[in-house]
Amino acid sequence: MDKTQAARPGGPSPDPQAYVAQVMAEIEDEVRLRRSSGDLPPKLERELDELFLAHSPVAGRGGDLTEALRMVDAATFVDPVVPVDSQRAAGAVVKKGMRTVLLWYVGWITHQISQFASAVSRALHIVEGRLKELERKVEVQRVPGAGVVEIPAVHRADAWWVAPTVAAVASVPGRIVHAASGDGWLVRLIISAGGDAYGVDPRTNLVEEGVLTVSDLRGEDLVDHLRAVAPAGLGAIVLSGVVDGMAGGERAQLLHLIGATLAPGGVLVLHSLSRAAFDKEDAPFEADLAPGRPLRATTWQRLLDESGYDATVADGPGGADYLVTAVRATVPLPEPTSGR
Amino acid sequence: MSAAGPSRPPVAVHQFIPTLNPRDATGSHTLLLRDILRGAGWRSEIFAEAIHDDLATEAYKHWTYPEHAAAGDVVIYQFSTSSVVASFLADRSEPLIVDFHNFTAPEHFRGWEPHSEERAARAYDDLVLLARRAELGLADSRFNERDLRRAGYRRTTVIPVLVDYRRVGAPPDRRVAAELAAAKAKGGADLLFVGRIVPSKAQHQLVQALWAYRRLYDPAARLHLVGGSSSFAYLKALREFTAELGLVDAVRITGDVSDAALAAYFGAADAYLSLSAHEGFGVPLVEAMAAGVPVVARRVGAVAETVGDAALLLAGTDPSYVAAALHRVVSDATLRRLLLEAGRRRLPAFGLDAVAPQLVAAVASVAGAPQ
Repeated sequence: MDKTQAARPGGPSPDPQAYVAQVMAEIEDEVRLRRSSGDLPPKLERELDELFLAHSPVAGRGGDLTEALRMVDAATFVDPVVPVDSQRAAGAVVKKGMRTVLLWYVGWITHQISQFASAVSRALHIVEGRLKELERKVEVQRVPGAGVVEIPAVHRADAWWVAPTVAAVASVPGRIVHAASGDGWLVRLIISAGGDAYGVDPRTNLVEEGVLTVSDLRGEDLVDHLRAVAPAGLGAIVLSGVVDGMAGGERAQLLHLIGATLAPGGVLVLHSLSRAAFDKEDAPFEADLAPGRPLRATTWQRLLDESGYDATVADGPGGADYLVTAVRATVPLPEPTSGR
Repeated sequence: MSAAGPSRPPVAVHQFIPTLNPRDATGSHTLLLRDILRGAGWRSEIFAEAIHDDLATEAYKHWTYPEHAAAGDVVIYQFSTSSVVASFLADRSEPLIVDFHNFTAPEHFRGWEPHSEERAARAYDDLVLLARRAELGLADSRFNERDLRRAGYRRTTVIPVLVDYRRVGAPPDRRVAAELAAAKAKGGADLLFVGRIVPSKAQHQLVQALWAYRRLYDPAARLHLVGGSSSFAYLKALREFTAELGLVDAVRITGDVSDAALAAYFGAADAYLSLSAHEGFGVPLVEAMAAGVPVVARRVGAVAETVGDAALLLAGTDPSYVAAALHRVVSDATLRRLLLEAGRRRLPAFGLDAVAPQLVAAVASVAGAPQ
């Protein structure tokens, strides 16, 4: 069908479907022509996508692997048809001539580069697939972190273990951290006894209550906090309600961080419920949700001794809880190899 | 009851909707349907989880419905996204009609709006939840009907969304029309898209197409993106992208506009361009037909069903391809004439006169004839 004839106003009306089909075919021909002439190289079109994605939150913040791979995929093809635009009249003709002459050579090179990029992209997709599979498996086996396990009758200022704890840490040089500090009740006692104490607790609601009376309470997780502390930066660490429900891996990680942040000669005080108290009907719900169960006091003593501490144990009345006080050796022992 | 007995109030057919907005397709449909239901003899009110300030007197909060409920009520749920309204209705016993307008799939929000992605992911669960309760599923298009069937709706029918496309023929806003006319006097085509600025509407691809169109065919062309945004991240990226391409003066992002301003934009447009990645119906496509603006659209979702042979349908969104299609629509008088004639032939099927009786009949099949 002749488009110019059909376009004449008042002329015979063409069959609409056939005309639109012809227009679509002509559009595709024109696009091919434009691309091959270098008017709008395919690479430039793909770069528009990349340019836009650079403004997306995904690209701007590192993003996820799938999005990043999309951009890699978009960039794998190296276009051998270079643009020939020129501001000088003869420039475009010269460039076009050079492109025609060199296309066999440039095409051969770019073909290999594109193949290499495609192979890299394919490998990255395989890595992505395996990573996703691993993530799925790990997610299923993920052990949630232990929450703070506290019993009002045990975690209070007049409890049996509080006075020996304050006595053990109040005079150490350096800062003393208590976790989980709650509203700072134990921090206050240590400060009153002359210690330079502060508190850490992930329960931010309690921290917000406590900051009215204790200036240095931090609403964060103990492990995250210890990671940010300078090596050997603490004089003493007091743990209560923290290690009771920890799983093995979490406990080992914590011990490692304590070893890294507690100064030689520093004191670790660890208060825990006993297994019997932990499993009682009236134990707090965090005990049910905890991934682990309390170790026996003697097990802690053994673990700490092996890690270069001099540990002593005191059992609470009725066997409900215990206190482990450990002084870190001045010269650290080598790391234990048992994997516990 | 004897004929001489006390007269009972007419049966009520109430509508529920997640958010009642004045200028979106589902909100307009709901308001029009409320008037049609009342005109047919039913009592009818609108209940919504959220109500736009401009429509505060038009609807009640959904949780107040028990205060209005009466025996014999039938409820219609205008489904367009996930909402607490779905679970609210799932727990009630009134006969339910689900009027399904489809929803944007979560992947379209991925990387942009985590909250919207999460909400979209729940939408299908809502649709399935209501399937066991619904006595009838209404779909705007066969495309949407397929989704209803997949979700477990046994009885479904297709009825177009209510479009009062007369609004695009209303007297245009004089100030906007004058601005557009002044720009047009300097040359260059005016390209138009109407829709929320969200990733699924792919306005960034419209900007890419404009860039290519200006580079290849018409250096003075302009693009008007009409519609509010519910995706701040996408809007921000779109603005930055437009600036980076040097198109700030060529792309106008208007936000929500009045009906008169919308009429001005349609009045000035040389082509309506849609590259949406998802459309359950596409009301602005019908409005473009009504306004006599030729349509170029990506063939996706229900678009082909809505426009029929009244648009140039594209298989892809490569800027050079879209630009070439735009060039033909703008410059080929025969093509324009054929597309506009096809649009005029198609338009009556979407008119209120045609759609309203279908909706009344569908509702009556559940509620019984109005008194």
